[in-house]
Amino acid sequence: MGEQNFLVNAVTNTVLNRRSFLKWNAALGGTAVLAKGGLSFGLEKSDKAAAQADEKIVWSACLVNCGSRCPLRLHVRDGEIVRVETDDTGDAEYGTHQLRCCVRGRSIRQRVYNPDRLKYPMKRVGKRGEGKFERISWEEAYDTIASELQRIIDEYGNEAVYINYATGALGGTVAKSWPPGSSPIARLMNCVGGYLNHYGTYSSAQMSTAMPYTYGSRSSNSIEDIINTKLVVMFGNNICETSMGGGGGKVFALQAMKEQSGAKFILFDPRYSETAVSVVDEWIPIRPGTDAALVAAMAYVMITEDLHDQEFLDEYCVGFDEDHMPEDVPAGLSYKSYVMGDGEDGMPKTPEWAAKITGVPAETIVRVAREIALTKPCFITQGLGPQRQANGEQNCRAIAMLPILTGNVGIHGGNTGVSEGGYGIRVMGFPTLDNPVKASISVFMWYEAILRGAEMTALADGVRGVDQLPAPIKFMWNYAGNTIVNQHSDSNATVKQLEDDSLCEMIVVIENHMTPSAKLADILLPDITNFEQNEITSGSAGNTGYAIALSQAIEPQFECRPIYEMCAEIAKRLGVEEEFTEGRTHDEWLEWVVEETRKNNPDFPDYETFREMGIYKVTNPGEPSVAYADFREDPEANPLSTPSGKIEIFSKDLYDIANTWEIPEGDVITGIPVYAATWEGYEDPLREKYPLQMIGHHYKARTHSSYHNVEWLRKAAPQEVWMNPLDAEERGLELGDMVHVYNDRGRLKLPVKVTPRIAPGVISVPQGAWYEPNKDGVDEGGCVNTLTALRPSPLAKANPQHTNLVQVEKA
Amino acid sequence: MANQLAFYFDVARCTGCKACQVACQDKHDLPADMRWRRVAEYSGGEWVRNQDGSFTQNVFAYYVSVACNHCEKPICQEVCPASAITKRDDGIVLIDEDKCIGCRYCEWACPYAAPQFDEDSGTMSKCTLCVDYIDAGQLPACVAACPSRALEVGELSELRAKYGDLAEVAPLPEAKLTEPAMIIKPNAKTKPVLAKAGRLANPEEV
Amino acid sequence: MDVREWALIAFTILSQMAVGSFIILGIVYFFAARKWGEEEADRLSDRALLAIGPVLVLGTLASLFHLGNPLNAYRAIANVGSSWLSREILANVLFIGVGAVFAFMQWRKISTSATRNVVALVAAAIGVVLVFSMSQIYMLRTAPAWDTIATPITFFTTTFLLGALAVGAAYVANYAYVQRKEPGCADTQCEIMRSTLRWLALASVVLVGVHLVVLPLYVAYLASSDVAAANDAVNVLMGDYGVVFALRLVLVFVGAGILGAFLYRNASSPGREKILGNLAYAAFAVVLVAEVMGRFLFYAMQTRIGL
Repeated sequence: MGEQNFLVNAVTNTVLNRRSFLKWNAALGGTAVLAKGGLSFGLEKSDKAAAQADEKIVWSACLVNCGSRCPLRLHVRDGEIVRVETDDTGDAEYGTHQLRCCVRGRSIRQRVYNPDRLKYPMKRVGKRGEGKFERISWEEAYDTIASELQRIIDEYGNEAVYINYATGALGGTVAKSWPPGSSPIARLMNCVGGYLNHYGTYSSAQMSTAMPYTYGSRSSNSIEDIINTKLVVMFGNNICETSMGGGGGKVFALQAMKEQSGAKFILFDPRYSETAVSVVDEWIPIRPGTDAALVAAMAYVMITEDLHDQEFLDEYCVGFDEDHMPEDVPAGLSYKSYVMGDGEDGMPKTPEWAAKITGVPAETIVRVAREIALTKPCFITQGLGPQRQANGEQNCRAIAMLPILTGNVGIHGGNTGVSEGGYGIRVMGFPTLDNPVKASISVFMWYEAILRGAEMTALADGVRGVDQLPAPIKFMWNYAGNTIVNQHSDSNATVKQLEDDSLCEMIVVIENHMTPSAKLADILLPDITNFEQNEITSGSAGNTGYAIALSQAIEPQFECRPIYEMCAEIAKRLGVEEEFTEGRTHDEWLEWVVEETRKNNPDFPDYETFREMGIYKVTNPGEPSVAYADFREDPEANPLSTPSGKIEIFSKDLYDIANTWEIPEGDVITGIPVYAATWEGYEDPLREKYPLQMIGHHYKARTHSSYHNVEWLRKAAPQEVWMNPLDAEERGLELGDMVHVYNDRGRLKLPVKVTPRIAPGVISVPQGAWYEPNKDGVDEGGCVNTLTALRPSPLAKANPQHTNLVQVEKA
Repeated sequence: MANQLAFYFDVARCTGCKACQVACQDKHDLPADMRWRRVAEYSGGEWVRNQDGSFTQNVFAYYVSVACNHCEKPICQEVCPASAITKRDDGIVLIDEDKCIGCRYCEWACPYAAPQFDEDSGTMSKCTLCVDYIDAGQLPACVAACPSRALEVGELSELRAKYGDLAEVAPLPEAKLTEPAMIIKPNAKTKPVLAKAGRLANPEEV
Repeated sequence: MDVREWALIAFTILSQMAVGSFIILGIVYFFAARKWGEEEADRLSDRALLAIGPVLVLGTLASLFHLGNPLNAYRAIANVGSSWLSREILANVLFIGVGAVFAFMQWRKISTSATRNVVALVAAAIGVVLVFSMSQIYMLRTAPAWDTIATPITFFTTTFLLGALAVGAAYVANYAYVQRKEPGCADTQCEIMRSTLRWLALASVVLVGVHLVVLPLYVAYLASSDVAAANDAVNVLMGDYGVVFALRLVLVFVGAGILGAFLYRNASSPGREKILGNLAYAAFAVVLVAEVMGRFLFYAMQTRIGL
């Protein structure tokens, strides 16, 4: 159905395009373009951007961790990529639009042909971390890995083998690093007894852990549902920078939906982000980590002025007031009690109270609370910034309180307060078999698990699957990831720990480039890029789902090899080659994946056709999706998957966790979402020494740390720390001055961007720049994680990388 | 035959992502320091710290993507001593490298910083409006690259009929200087040309 | 500032000095010939005239270093129709050509002196056009710090100031030569030199006055301008290069004003040729440095409207 509609649209658009194209063509003096085939769409392979005679155009995609999988069309001449273009199917209308890649995809040539490319297998010589390597043969590399892996499994058990979080090769089907449990390495490990897994991601760990306590899941309305709303309220949601490409489709969707709905956009964010620039009508700067205080004050306004949706709260929710609390819970723990000052702290959460904490003036809090409550429907959403805090679990659940208080959940034009979704095509995954090891740790806790793995427990450290880990991590796989130094917290401490090879005894890094993490490898294997092999990817671009058949554009560079081949070779040495490959090559697995996909979705093209098409798109045939719509319609028949089946403003599960877990002092876990002042938050006395709150925004020059070493991007968007003119003036700083940003954990050196686009008292170091300490230990690369803390957040045990206190001085 | 091709730019659509800039660099094999298309950031606003620890502000910011505007009154062509700069019948202004003496006078003159010196050849270079693509009926690389469709290209008179004739906003120069073949759709944040409300916030990037 | 701008500084300063010298030389020759006869006037001026040639050639060669693609340099006159740069180069070439013809004629005393005077007048007129063209190059509507009447005024002031002091220095040198080689003529030449130097000193004092009036007015004008680029130029001048600017004003005042006044006084009474010589050399040297600094600042103030 969906596809048929899509094709009808496509034909219509092609005709329209052709007509306007003729006009355009005439205007230009009528070169005979149409004779070359003109425009095409859908099943025909496009040749609109006519290649030169000796060029071929190959469909590919940019596969990194931005949430997009943008199509690229590579012009290849004499075995070299000479030009990069993007999707040319469809038009400029939202719904049939071209999925145009972002600036990073455009720079792909400098990523493929990069001086940092690893050329051949290497082994470490000298101390770990020194960065000294010696070239070895592939045979030696495979033999070493296989024998070390076997030794460590024999000595410590499979729980001592860890596959680290890695997102550098993401979105593919076989050659993919994320989720690590779906990578070829996981399949290899599962053939030999399994590995220690992790849960959560560095992107969204707090939200994916916390939000289900409220809703049973972290669902949301699709972004195209903004067309049905009157007011959009965003918290730390920077779609225009975090999800820039057409393959994610969110930017174009956001802009189109804004234009079509005429809705007003309000953004709470410490930074006047690119989203503020493009779509936001009112920017309200807020201090990092104080979202829950702001929400509580807006709740105070709504409750005192009787603007909240009491009927919705009574019928659909648990825990708003004392009349709707679970049994066996003492009085005074409801959200209303908390807000009105009838709870444990006795503090009414007035706008004046919140103004001091959040930086948002009281009158603004009152005005916006009224606006949210009185504008129906209202689409409330958040990015992943507010949750990447020391109190991130509280922040994201608190933000969800606004749509709950105003009854905006489960309706068109409303939302759940969670980051918005989209329409996609489901493509079968590469099967990685079952992991016999049941233990898993939080994504952020591997550092601890190397140090004191065998002491880590469920109650103290969030270990899942077992009560206690049996062994520390002794072997670490790091395929296409920069998390072992750059993207984890406290890079200096991390490096120092990993330099001790008596702790983690073996680190295998499989990479394209010599990253800061690669420098810590014992064995370093050069991977091919996704432009050097066939792949399949799929994604969602607003109301358009798509799948791309990536075709090999160029031969593997240097001695680089595909990950599947590496794993198969190691499997052979471990005696499990047959189990690993099931007799299939990488390309045969791709064919298998398409066949399996077609079993559930017969409209999906067959392998050959798909490869011919390059891209396959399907526009959402129905209405924009609404999270929990059936629950809203009939809560009895369609309960949520929370214990009560309702929206749990008060979560009894969380209340119980608070009473059973070993919780470090200062960590706050509560049944309702509250504002918790944290270490290195705005209210920490440490601010006397380090007065500035530091966040690390996602930057257009990089997807996390991918693309850092691309010259075009480094010049287009240089690494620089954002600072408010008031703070700069106090320090005698001007735009472009070199500064030191420092705290007890480390010191950065980079230029300062003095800009009114960030709140006073807050600075932002764009995250992902490569850690590059000089001889004095000063990180001249400007990696934000040189300054971030290793202490995990309370519930998800996850990375609080936007919670930092620092000082800045002229370098 | 078109009389004057022109760029159209929608301020509200531009997120400052610079896909246009890098697509241009990729298309023309330009080094990172040469940007035939650039994206200027214009921002401003005042901050006040209130007694209670909150703050108020009136911050604004927006981007303007600029290449050569293939002006109707191209000052580069006017001042070029070598007659190396020509304007085609469709309005595209081109530099002939074989004639250029590399005196950089056009660089001094052009208020859009369109002509840029190529250290390798010793001559000037600039946006060609992807004349090869235009001649083949394709969109220029920058226009085809914009994920937000903030850029269009077309016949100036037609674009004016569709979008009006604004061709100057801060921090761009007054249009009367060179009569650029460009149309800008402003948004609520956009400040008029010569405004002093803000400043060019990324001078090193343009 | 890189070598390309230094090339322009050298070219414009040397060319203007050459034009100024040529014209001053002509004026002095005219009066000297009337009072002391052509022979003495020739003796005073011929060697100085020949010295202009190398200065011009040097300046023109320097200009080539400004070009990224000097192999195409011949194309620089391809757009006389609309480019002041083409006009400048054309004027420069013509000035060199006609000037050389005149110098050759004057050296070999070819044709009548009336004819030679006509050629000289033509060359001088071309020189004026050259300096005017030079100033017009910078009168770009997109360069507010340059696009003022101060540019041609300053260029012509520099032309005549350097011309006067260069000619003065040349006379001193010429006199020393005459003293050695043609002692019989030394007395007359000495008188001519002193008399001329007085006028040249007076001229330089007047010209420095022009500088000292125009420059503050110019800065005040830029500072009060609505155009941001003009204000930026003031910041460059008073901020980044404030010291250079101050020094430039002091030097030109010292060189042309104070030394000029001394020159005038010492030239008024005979017997002080040695002091006179040193003063003339010093004034020329100091003013040359001041003018080079001034031109450096001129280029540093290249702030363009727009991006």
